[in-house]
Amino acid sequence: MPLDTSTYSLALLRLDGRRWNELRRLTAQMRTQASADGSAYLEMGNTKVICTVSGPSEGGAVRPGGGEEAVVGVDISIAGFSGVERKRRARNDKRVAEMQNTIATAFEGVIFTKLYPRSLITLSLHVLAQDGSLLAACINACTLALIDAGVPMKDYIAACTAGSTSSYSSNEEAADPLLDLNAAEEQELPFLTVATVGESDFVSVLVLETRVQVGRLEGMLAVGVDGCKQVRAILDGVVRTRGGKILEGSTV
Amino acid sequence: MTSLKRSLGSDPLASNISSKVYVRSTKSGKVQKIVRELYLRQDIPCSSKLCTACLKTAPRDAAGFLPPFVLSAAPAGTKKYKQGHYIIPDTNALLNALDLFETSAAFYDVIILQTVLEELRNRSLPLYNRLIGLTKSEDKRFYVFFNDFRLETYVVREKGESINDRNDRAVRRAVKWYDEHLIQAVKAAGGRKEKVPAVVMLSDDKENLRKAKKDGVEACSLKEYVGGLENAEKLLDMISVVQENREIKDAKTAELFYDEYYSVSKMGTGVKNGTLHQGIFNVSPYNYLEGSIKVPAFDKSLIVLGRENINRAVQGDVVVVEVLPKEQWKAPSTKIIEEENMNKDENADAEEGESVVTEKERRALQDEVKKVHSKTSEGRPQPTARVVGVIKRNWRQYVGHVDESSVSKSAKESRKQQTVFLIPMDKRIPKIRVRTRQAGEIVGKRVLVTIDSWDRDSRHPVGHFVRSLGDLETKGAETEALLLEYDVQYRPFPKAVLDCLPAEGHDWIVPPSTDDPGWKDRRDLRHLEICSIDPIGCQDIDDALHARPLPNGNYEVGVHIADVSHFVKPNNAMDAEASIRGTTVYLVDKRIDMLPMLLGTDLCSLKPYIERYAFSAIWEMTPDAEIVKSEFTKSVIKSREAFSYEQAQIRVDDKSQQDDLTTAIRTLLMLSKKFKQKRMDAGALSLSSPEVRVEMESETSDPIDIKTKKHLDTMSLVEEFMLLANTSVAAKIYEAFPQTAMLRRHGAPPKTNFEELANQLKTKRNLDLRMATSKELADSLDTCVDPKEPFFNTLVRIMATRCMMSAEYFCSGTQAYPEFRHYGLASEIYTHFTSPIRRYADLVAHRQLAAAIDYEPLHAAVRSKGKLEAVCKNINVRHRNAQQAGRASIEYYVGQALKGRIVEEEGFVMKVFSNGFVVFVPRFGIESLIRLRDLADVEPEGDFDPENWTLRTSGSREVKVELFGKVVVRISDVLEEGSGKRKVKLELVKTGGK
Ligand SMILES: [Zn+2]
Repeated sequence: MPLDTSTYSLALLRLDGRRWNELRRLTAQMRTQASADGSAYLEMGNTKVICTVSGPSEGGAVRPGGGEEAVVGVDISIAGFSGVERKRRARNDKRVAEMQNTIATAFEGVIFTKLYPRSLITLSLHVLAQDGSLLAACINACTLALIDAGVPMKDYIAACTAGSTSSYSSNEEAADPLLDLNAAEEQELPFLTVATVGESDFVSVLVLETRVQVGRLEGMLAVGVDGCKQVRAILDGVVRTRGGKILEGSTV
Repeated sequence: MTSLKRSLGSDPLASNISSKVYVRSTKSGKVQKIVRELYLRQDIPCSSKLCTACLKTAPRDAAGFLPPFVLSAAPAGTKKYKQGHYIIPDTNALLNALDLFETSAAFYDVIILQTVLEELRNRSLPLYNRLIGLTKSEDKRFYVFFNDFRLETYVVREKGESINDRNDRAVRRAVKWYDEHLIQAVKAAGGRKEKVPAVVMLSDDKENLRKAKKDGVEACSLKEYVGGLENAEKLLDMISVVQENREIKDAKTAELFYDEYYSVSKMGTGVKNGTLHQGIFNVSPYNYLEGSIKVPAFDKSLIVLGRENINRAVQGDVVVVEVLPKEQWKAPSTKIIEEENMNKDENADAEEGESVVTEKERRALQDEVKKVHSKTSEGRPQPTARVVGVIKRNWRQYVGHVDESSVSKSAKESRKQQTVFLIPMDKRIPKIRVRTRQAGEIVGKRVLVTIDSWDRDSRHPVGHFVRSLGDLETKGAETEALLLEYDVQYRPFPKAVLDCLPAEGHDWIVPPSTDDPGWKDRRDLRHLEICSIDPIGCQDIDDALHARPLPNGNYEVGVHIADVSHFVKPNNAMDAEASIRGTTVYLVDKRIDMLPMLLGTDLCSLKPYIERYAFSAIWEMTPDAEIVKSEFTKSVIKSREAFSYEQAQIRVDDKSQQDDLTTAIRTLLMLSKKFKQKRMDAGALSLSSPEVRVEMESETSDPIDIKTKKHLDTMSLVEEFMLLANTSVAAKIYEAFPQTAMLRRHGAPPKTNFEELANQLKTKRNLDLRMATSKELADSLDTCVDPKEPFFNTLVRIMATRCMMSAEYFCSGTQAYPEFRHYGLASEIYTHFTSPIRRYADLVAHRQLAAAIDYEPLHAAVRSKGKLEAVCKNINVRHRNAQQAGRASIEYYVGQALKGRIVEEEGFVMKVFSNGFVVFVPRFGIESLIRLRDLADVEPEGDFDPENWTLRTSGSREVKVELFGKVVVRISDVLEEGSGKRKVKLELVKTGGK
């Protein structure tokens, strides 16, 4: 078996050869399913996600609070083959439900929902492979798909994870924060998922499900927010490439 | 905080992403495929102080700190590499000779490759941990180079290439890269070419060496390399002989003694479909040619009889066996067979012409089989089996001594290499063939050896000599031998561990101001009348108690435990060391601490008259010992007095003492008796193991007398409240962490364990032993009395204890709730909480309890099921080893105390064989074997009746020895030839009482 995260301190290298502040390879494509209103395919390392958007479509959706704005619905399906062990996730899996809710709330915050009264915008996510930072990958894919669908938004939401090497618990300040965790790291180390809006430091999503010393949180968050900006730059690059191609008229 | 900018286009490394696929099989037998990304890079430093190029790009941590480079700019040279050299060992070299790398005489400036580290971790976790330790020691200058992450040294496995070959290739590639890199580095710095250190690959793999030569990579076998060092001779013996021997064998097709092992896949399928069985191989302490294996498919253990069937399995190995046809099943052996008496005159050097089973061994076993077949009655045949493969060797380093008769006289003086036999102290381990140049010097010494291999063409395992511990029978050598034999970590704590201690040292005090952060969430219990009760001379005081009446007529009782988790933080060097040590080991004259002295005997120890941090469990209970309320809190206490059991007992018994403290102890005593009664009613067992205490002369620490331990009420007082605290804490942490609570269980013993004892009691004394529940067993043990012989009940209890399972630590998520039960204590759930100074499990329980009461968050290390399981596994082993080491130490000192004395004592027969019997002497807590041939100068004829466990001798001496029978024995001490140990020897004076 491969080594574990405790070897970080030997040479300041992570399990996959990255340093503490490096993202994995992030690649994406837009308009991968022509039939949908908007779509995108995104890879963060070995985590692979497809997102399709349908809507905004009118009718049916009524806000529980009684407002007029459009509702964002999120549906995540995780392929049985996506993890290390092949398993089916139940439809009402609590973790999935929580992710759906987190994503919906985040995007309702940036989409100009007032423009589409009583409408529904559905984001369907298909997880093809999981290797950590799943929620972040889903959020990033949604951003691209929504842009592809032409849904007006204030700005991008870009997300990534940040963790901490816990090998120095005696000297808490010395623990290094980590950017963009893979599955092996997520299993062994504390981590959080953070998403920011545009180039600002405005945090729209922050999920922390593992225990971590308060002292380390600030460093993790700083690295995470910084990572979000890098992610935004990459997403922006994808959008601009796509835009360029449309202008050239090479693809539809 | 800034991150490196890295977008796809501009990043030169973006295309250098590879992936690595691992296949692992899970516990449930599933195969998982794990794919990992690899980001190949060019900025992994060589860490040589000669290089400046790497310094620029070397990684810094988040604080911007650059770890200093490790490898010396002017490394040591050898005869061959005068310019100085760096060493890169391959996995084989480390597996065969990590001892060498640890010596201070040589092996500096070593580069450990990631490939090698990973392989070593898969092959042997203990060796991996030792190596990691080496990389952390500054003076040895070991550097871990992540070659699989560096673009130039990353190697893709080719089609058809085995993983081993790929890894060997990766090692050679890295060596080559280092070589070229250093030349450039020196050139860039303007140095001369002769100054460039050589980079030498060390390997014991012939093929790897050959390919290295072909590729122009500087490489050396360990032997060749060590030969070029200054102190070559001493070091040479530490090299495993595996490879060397193989070369000789290749030349002449050797005779094969043993059957070939099945292939791994054949064993795998066999075990899966039930035709083969897997289990741990255990050798009978009385017969080295008989092993047993407990497998789930059979109630009774499978017996493996004879050298051919044992087929090179060694005590503790995980083996796969095949059950033999029913007609070959037999009862467990009733004969004592000892290796040293069987093959005394064997020649260590001769390989040719010897057969796997010597004629003598064959005869001994045939006698056995005949006896079984002639048996008329039912008998108790047990399934027999033969070993067809070994899944995992459990070889370790063994302590032993050289069989003097195997050393050739002429070679004693010379330095000629010769083969000798090494006889391990543990009788269950076969003798080991060792090649050495120092035969003359190590005769008469306690030595440490390892087994390297056991091939089909060798009757005995082959090993190598590690080091000498000193002369046989000297206190120093024997104590170290004992510690090594039970794998007790006895070296002084390394600096990294001591660095974790509070800077104030012995001057540390509880902060006087209650505003200090140390006081946060701590209850001030300094006003309580707390005292501790421990054995005489106890320095590491774990626990203290208090009791006081409440206005409502109930009592408040508190158990206060040293707050070790305040000082030992999870995952730091001290914690890591403690988790490896697992427990403090108590020998007769020595204590090997789990934690540094400063904590154990001072800062944590709940010493009297001083304020200390504690973790308190406080109950409100009625006078009938019904618990009304319980709570746990971190606290500050001030113990009023540290009593010994005896002192406390005297105080309690002295009616004139009416002070608060004494009254409190009386209250505690009263309550403890009620708790005990309740436990007994619930079916708790009161078992027995022989306990003696060795009294030492205070100045010379020579043993002068042996006393059986006396039981005092105050002992059960403390015990009861510790049990209560442990049980309460167990329930609390399980409630808070249902998946990861650190608990302790004691399995119900399988019925078959008691079958023999029950049979014996039935036949010999017409007593019924029932064991459906622990309550039944406890009750029926109470009825096992012999009105004429008060010790009989204790004897039965001692024997019953040996039929029990051993209690074990476990992580709550790994067992179903009914399995949590502690059989012996008749408790549903149990843990260890009360001795965190000397047991690691308690420390974990402390951390979990602290988290359960929201005192502090739970650290990841005590929350991960996988990590906890690993911790449990280790401390279970350590715990058992510590007990055995303690017992062995007592045994040694009993021998020393009896030295030169001859005593006659009463004893009891515990076991009867066809050619001997085992006698237990309660006065000294010793048990020993008396063989037929010990009875008289000419061995008398023995007539053994296995149904009645009776041995009748005739001829030169006529006696009748019966199981449970009383005998008088003469006890003296002799130097045992076999193990080189001074041992008590028993001689039968007569049967019946004094
Ligand atoms: Zn360099």
